[in-house]
Amino acid sequence: MFNVYEVFIQKDHGSPHVWVGSVDAGSPDDALLLARENFLRRDPAVSIWVVKQEQVHRTDYEDRDFFARETDKSYRMLTGYNKANAEKWRKYKKNLLDLEKDFVKD
Amino acid sequence: MTDEERLEQFMARIERGEKIESTDWMPMEYRVTLVKFMQMHALSEVMGALPEKEWVPKAPTLARKLSLMAKVQDEMGHGQLILRVAEDLAKPLGKTREDLVGELLTGVCKFHNVFHMPAPTWADAGIIGWLVDGAAVVTQAALLDSSYGPYARVLQRVCAEEGFHIQHGESICLALAEGTPEQRQMLQEALNRWWESLLLFFGPAETTSASATILMKYRFRTRTNEELRQKFFAKYVPRIWSLGLTIPDPDFRWDEAKQTWHYTQPDWTKLKAIARNEGPLSQYRLGLRRMSYEQTKWVREALLGQAGAIA
Amino acid sequence: MTDPMLAELLYQLADDELVIGHRDSEWLGLAPHIEEDIAFGSIAQDEVGHATAFYRLLSDLGLGVADDLAFLRPAGERRNAVLLERPNGAGTYLQDPAFDWGYTVARRLAYDLYDAIRLEVLATSSAHQPLAQLAAKIRREERYHLLHHVTWFKRLAEGTDESRRRLAIGIERTWEDVGGLFVMTPSDYFPTTAEALVERWTAELRPQFLAVGLAWPLALPAPAVDGRAGQHTPDLAALLDTMGEVYRTAPGASW
Repeated sequence: MFNVYEVFIQKDHGSPHVWVGSVDAGSPDDALLLARENFLRRDPAVSIWVVKQEQVHRTDYEDRDFFARETDKSYRMLTGYNKANAEKWRKYKKNLLDLEKDFVKD
Repeated sequence: MTDEERLEQFMARIERGEKIESTDWMPMEYRVTLVKFMQMHALSEVMGALPEKEWVPKAPTLARKLSLMAKVQDEMGHGQLILRVAEDLAKPLGKTREDLVGELLTGVCKFHNVFHMPAPTWADAGIIGWLVDGAAVVTQAALLDSSYGPYARVLQRVCAEEGFHIQHGESICLALAEGTPEQRQMLQEALNRWWESLLLFFGPAETTSASATILMKYRFRTRTNEELRQKFFAKYVPRIWSLGLTIPDPDFRWDEAKQTWHYTQPDWTKLKAIARNEGPLSQYRLGLRRMSYEQTKWVREALLGQAGAIA
Repeated sequence: MTDPMLAELLYQLADDELVIGHRDSEWLGLAPHIEEDIAFGSIAQDEVGHATAFYRLLSDLGLGVADDLAFLRPAGERRNAVLLERPNGAGTYLQDPAFDWGYTVARRLAYDLYDAIRLEVLATSSAHQPLAQLAAKIRREERYHLLHHVTWFKRLAEGTDESRRRLAIGIERTWEDVGGLFVMTPSDYFPTTAEALVERWTAELRPQFLAVGLAWPLALPAPAVDGRAGQHTPDLAALLDTMGEVYRTAPGASW
């Protein structure tokens, strides 16, 4: 029975490796060779990783609580700050404009 | 949790339109039915390569030779993608690729009726690429919201590649339609030959088969055979007519009152023979696969020698 | 007026690639396993693509339409090496294809290694610029082919007793014809000698044999049938018959 290798492709140096599928192969080197034609006939790439399927460790889909985010996390998100900051900046910007008006009059 | 409770929860997930993943708990019926369905789909792709590969050595231009080689390669590729999904789901059943492929060769696993039919001229290669793939796209698009996550996902890639196939097939048919009188005739004759198979492709309208019911219950597939066949007509009949080709069915017409395409029923009993692998080329094509599989057994054993050795 | 030596060379290149690509394509759907079927299919496509590019160079020299050159020339005008026209095994791709993977691996490795050397000479020193440029591009694609064939060579040599035996048979059969690859006439377009090509090819291939404990066959027998001189076997006639079957019904028609 063949080994199963999960295949990850990096399309360019600005992108991370992304999973695209798997191949049955006799060895990691064979898997790399096969992966090129099985997955990259129409897409450019700079790198292929193959990982034996058994070596992939995974979370359990049923354990949804593993991914639970129920309480407010906006303290660590952009959305927690950008509105409040923007209001303040508008106030300061307005002050600056008023100052400029006074300056010109002088 | 008892099995009844698990099953209730599982069906509730299905009803909610949730996706099932390969490692989820699932009733044995779901697993077994799906493995069979995907096995048949995958191996139909692999068998589907055979009618068209007949024309690769005879393709009439270098460009067509290349295009057809790429298309046939894609069919093997689709077989590979779907088979991998089937293998992962079949693993807890103790089934390997060798088992799944072996069942095709012994006749336990069937392959799609359309691939039991002859492709005697170059125009047949065109009709297959255009209309058989067209029919496959209609069916596959309907499977994109299948409840089984890995299958639905892999079908996205499959459907994307089918786009090229249909363009390739159209290109061949357009060239013939615009060609010499002999080429036009070859195209019309190929259409005449394939029309019945295209109707049979979608299966009978009324089906109460056990597996069809199960597939609908688990939202593995969600459209009926007739819905898909009508979709195929809507998409392709106007194009067929626009090329000046005729549908080889004097009764074929749009029924304004019923808002459906009316067609003469094909001979559904033909499907029975095909299901016994007694279609026109069933044994011939299976013969090719059996022969090549046996002839290359020593090669796989050489590869597996390493697979066993590598921890 | 095209230098006949240039035309000869281009026909050799184009016919070599077309004939081996055609043989490779007969394996579609019949390869040892599905992933390999797909990989080998790409190699077959590359060869036919290379042939197309070489026929276009001939076409650019005013020698005819690429498809005509590919599909209409009779066997006596073909310049491919006989090694490449041999069948993949007993039977035909339509009837009882008892194809031999051991022969395919041996033949493909022998040919692609020769082709890599040929392309290197052309890319770096051919007097015909379009050919040099094309050869430079094709060389890069051949990297994958060589990796594929070398890997298979090792797998079969180191796999089982049976695979080693089959590979050895494939090598034996390949050796009957392999000398025919090297028949050539030095020119500014292909500035090297047959001896130099054989030497370089041996230097590349012999270590592969030794690395897996296979004896290096002592000599390259002179070819019994010289494809480069337009001498071919009935296998080529049958191949060309099949290949041109549809095209010949209406040459020049749009397909």
